[in-house]
Amino acid sequence: MATLSQPLPARDEPRRPNIATADIQLPAVRDYEQVDREIVGTLHPTVAWFIGLGIAVMFLLIGIAAWMYQIYSGLGVAGYNPPVMWGVYIISFVFWVGIGHAGTLISAILYLFRAGFRTTIYRCAEAMTVFAVMTAGLFPVLHLGRPWKFFWLIPYPNWRYIWPQFKSPLVWDVFAILTYLTVSSTFLYIGLIPDIAVLRDRENISPIRKRIFSVLSLGWRNTDREWRHFARAYLFLAAFSTPLVLSVHSVVSFDFAMALTPGWHTTIFPPYFVAGAIFSGIGMVFTIIIPLRKFFGLKHYVTINHLDAAAKLCLFTSLVVGCAYMTEWFVAWFSGNEFEQSFFANRIWGQWWWASAILYTCNMVLPLSLFSQRLRRNASWLFILSFTVNIGMWFERFVIVVPSLSHEFEPWQWTSYRPTWVDYAILAGSFGWFSMWFMLFIKQLPIIAIAEVKEIIRPKLRIQHAHGMTPAGEHFDFEPETPGEHD
Amino acid sequence: MRGVLGAFRELDAAVSAIEALKKGKLGAIHVFTPTPRHELEHVLDPGPSPVRKYTLIGGLCGVTFGYWIAIWTSDYWPLVVGGKPIASWVPYTIFGFEVMVLIGALSTVAGLFINARIPRLTMMVGYDPRFSHGDYGIWVECPPDKARTAEDLLREHGAVEVRLER
Repeated sequence: MATLSQPLPARDEPRRPNIATADIQLPAVRDYEQVDREIVGTLHPTVAWFIGLGIAVMFLLIGIAAWMYQIYSGLGVAGYNPPVMWGVYIISFVFWVGIGHAGTLISAILYLFRAGFRTTIYRCAEAMTVFAVMTAGLFPVLHLGRPWKFFWLIPYPNWRYIWPQFKSPLVWDVFAILTYLTVSSTFLYIGLIPDIAVLRDRENISPIRKRIFSVLSLGWRNTDREWRHFARAYLFLAAFSTPLVLSVHSVVSFDFAMALTPGWHTTIFPPYFVAGAIFSGIGMVFTIIIPLRKFFGLKHYVTINHLDAAAKLCLFTSLVVGCAYMTEWFVAWFSGNEFEQSFFANRIWGQWWWASAILYTCNMVLPLSLFSQRLRRNASWLFILSFTVNIGMWFERFVIVVPSLSHEFEPWQWTSYRPTWVDYAILAGSFGWFSMWFMLFIKQLPIIAIAEVKEIIRPKLRIQHAHGMTPAGEHFDFEPETPGEHD
Repeated sequence: MRGVLGAFRELDAAVSAIEALKKGKLGAIHVFTPTPRHELEHVLDPGPSPVRKYTLIGGLCGVTFGYWIAIWTSDYWPLVVGGKPIASWVPYTIFGFEVMVLIGALSTVAGLFINARIPRLTMMVGYDPRFSHGDYGIWVECPPDKARTAEDLLREHGAVEVRLER
């Protein structure tokens, strides 16, 4: 929650956390009743929603059918061309894990930094994280020749007395991804509990839904005791999630960096992967939240100021990613290593120039438009840009995975790679899987955190501008304005 | 559990009622609020939440288990890989860290559940659905002889509804 469990001492009031009040952040949101009415109002299913869900399920079924065909025919139908034995599945795995990172950044890291603009967008981003990691987790299994043996990666006591190889980056991945999925799901659910209680306590709710919400809200009663422990637990979960964001994509990058393959064996990979992950995730947040605020009539909750702030974050991560690309080129040139230099020449000017061109245009050039305040505050441009960012980041992973494997040390090994219809169908299926969960989520649970929005709204007062008491017995204004907010 | 429940529309009215009830020493006070407010925390002045202890203990157990499972299984099936030691602490730090986060986070949730006393199958006496929407509730646990005084205090400070609960 956007509060501290303990009030700040009176002497620290001028330095209180930078949480803008609703008067500044959400000027069109006046009272608690409005928040309940408008956010809960988004839960009524519409024809457009059913159509969207139907399309998502259709894509999912296409993906499932392709996977069944692959299981029946063998992995050979997936377009692998030795030694390029990592293709669309591993690219998509890294892509989806990356998508999840912005959700945790917005919900946990920006929470710790008290960034006020996260309040109305973090729920969406957090749900996106969980569904993206659920999607990512499918790809290593899809990539297995015998997917039903995937549990061999999990350390469990067994009659063979053998254990996974703990020095293998693939086992590191299993731990990192499962921990990330568990912690991000827990974080999402704990934050939802007070909002589910609001849904439970509505009038005109069917007995079955009331029963379901009663169970899911765990009997939450909004007592001061519950809020006190809730605030502290939420803070610690955010504190755990923060290093997790940095560690998970670092561990994913080790899958590559631990190998001796040219283009992979570099120490810049962990920060490069983390920055890219956050960049792509913010792109996906825009892709999701811009249509939602329009179709759900929530433009006065997710205001253009919120989009502007998120766009600055997008620009910053784009610059970090651009810096990482340039560092890669520099290291390849400065190393004097002929294999590395040959590989980079092939990546940029040779066989894979077109993929590199897409990558650099989408990730380095187009985001520079966000230096313009006018474009940062243009939702249509942000929506278009979010697509180019998503495409660019998928191609970034393509450029990392495929060119390295197709251009290793021995010239006789040099080859090409072309995905087949099975690869494309499963990739489309992954988008269907992700979208299906998201579509179901937005009509069952609030996409904006009701309790947190209420927290920044000026409460009803018997005497306007009434005064409360500090622990020292002095009076202070309710909801004092945050210094510098009017600047 | 007997007591008096007062419902308030305004935050400052609820805060002043709590101050008066605390001065009168009428019994334990529980507050229902749709969202956490500093003003209520100031006046209730609760101690620090013990959830932090669960987090610390869970995190320490997690990091220990993470290192232990990697080292023990490596020693159980000793296989030299890349000329590295059987128990290599550098890569095993990944397991120590990940399991610390996992167990630490789950312990934090356990700490929340234990201290906030959830999940709860039945609603607490005095709970009203309006407290999750916008109103504030004050529930004073007191014997019947003090109930009248509590009721008067709550009304005097602006309660829109006061009722005896048992």
